[in-house]
Amino acid sequence: MRNLFHIICCAVCMVAAVGCSSIECPIQIAVNTVYTVEGTLNDTLTIRSKRKNGTDTILYNRGIDLTKFAIPVSYQNPVDTLVFETTRLAAIDTVWLEKQDIPHFESVDCSALFFHTITAVRSTHIGIDTIIVTNPTVDYDPSNPHLYIRFKARP
Amino acid sequence: MTLPTRISISALRLALSVAMLLACANAGAQKFLKYEQDSIPLFRGFAVSTDLVGLAQLQLSDCGHIEGALRLNLHDQYFPTVELGVGRANHKEDEVTGLSYKTTAPYFRLGADVNIMNNKHTGNRVLVGLRYGFTKYKVDVARQPFPDPVWKWTTDFDVTGEACSMHWAEVLFGLDAKVVGPLHLGWTARYRIRMSHKEGSLGNTWYVPGFGKNDSSSLAATFNLIIDI
Repeated sequence: MRNLFHIICCAVCMVAAVGCSSIECPIQIAVNTVYTVEGTLNDTLTIRSKRKNGTDTILYNRGIDLTKFAIPVSYQNPVDTLVFETTRLAAIDTVWLEKQDIPHFESVDCSALFFHTITAVRSTHIGIDTIIVTNPTVDYDPSNPHLYIRFKARP
Repeated sequence: MTLPTRISISALRLALSVAMLLACANAGAQKFLKYEQDSIPLFRGFAVSTDLVGLAQLQLSDCGHIEGALRLNLHDQYFPTVELGVGRANHKEDEVTGLSYKTTAPYFRLGADVNIMNNKHTGNRVLVGLRYGFTKYKVDVARQPFPDPVWKWTTDFDVTGEACSMHWAEVLFGLDAKVVGPLHLGWTARYRIRMSHKEGSLGNTWYVPGFGKNDSSSLAATFNLIIDI
């Protein structure tokens, strides 16, 4: 019986130790598209989009002297329609970002997220000269920019 | 010009240390695995067992397993083992994230234990062992539709029947005590090593049948009810 008592005590201690759980979600959970600007944008850039109810939402507010910027991606819209407004150029462009959305799961303790694959990008060309996809995979990693954008020089 | 000399001395020290360690480990392993010569026959029967921890988890939490094992007793010293089970998780609408997670799948582990007690024939055993485990499972993850945090469009998060698999290894240490007649009770503490895994497009899985919660903890435990046949 002494054996039995020892065995059960050890087992209970061990299960208690092993049974401890912790919430393990990634620290970096922002899924953004990262744009690199050719050179430095000597201008003030604001980016906005339209919400479901028709009101505007500002995604990037009055960025100046930008070389790189990041903006969020919609969870499930097949195309994100973004309005780029530059102050000095006095230009308003629309950018259409087409993508596929991939549900991403970490744990039941972590929020539901989506990763994306950019399938195409196009824009109007009032202030924007060129916009191209450099890395179609949008996930937690912000170190590898997804889009390259060149603005027109000021007249 | 002194740097290469330092490196070579360090490397020499390291190589000597590793060689001595390996020699000791090799000698220990030879002693540890050496077949004990006595009058007891090699084949000593079978044992069947079940893991009570998995059953308790299944009753008390949203995931657990039902597991049985068949163990061959070779000279009370070597114990080739097959563990078969079914793991199940049914986590319904997490209070914080709203996510539901469901999977049910069979799994197996193959391996062997070695009794490291000096007197191996008392009926009590101190075991060390290795296991290889495999499971192939499908996962359903869902969440009630929720608004996109920026655009506010309704978002569905529903992944059904995502095919996943995992290979893993376990290093275990355990005790096994004779209680009465053929009945033994024992526990094992296990260090799990994930060898390879496939989770499809899902990213990660939360509970893997047979492996347990797929978090950074590498420890697991079993409490076994064992009957010698």
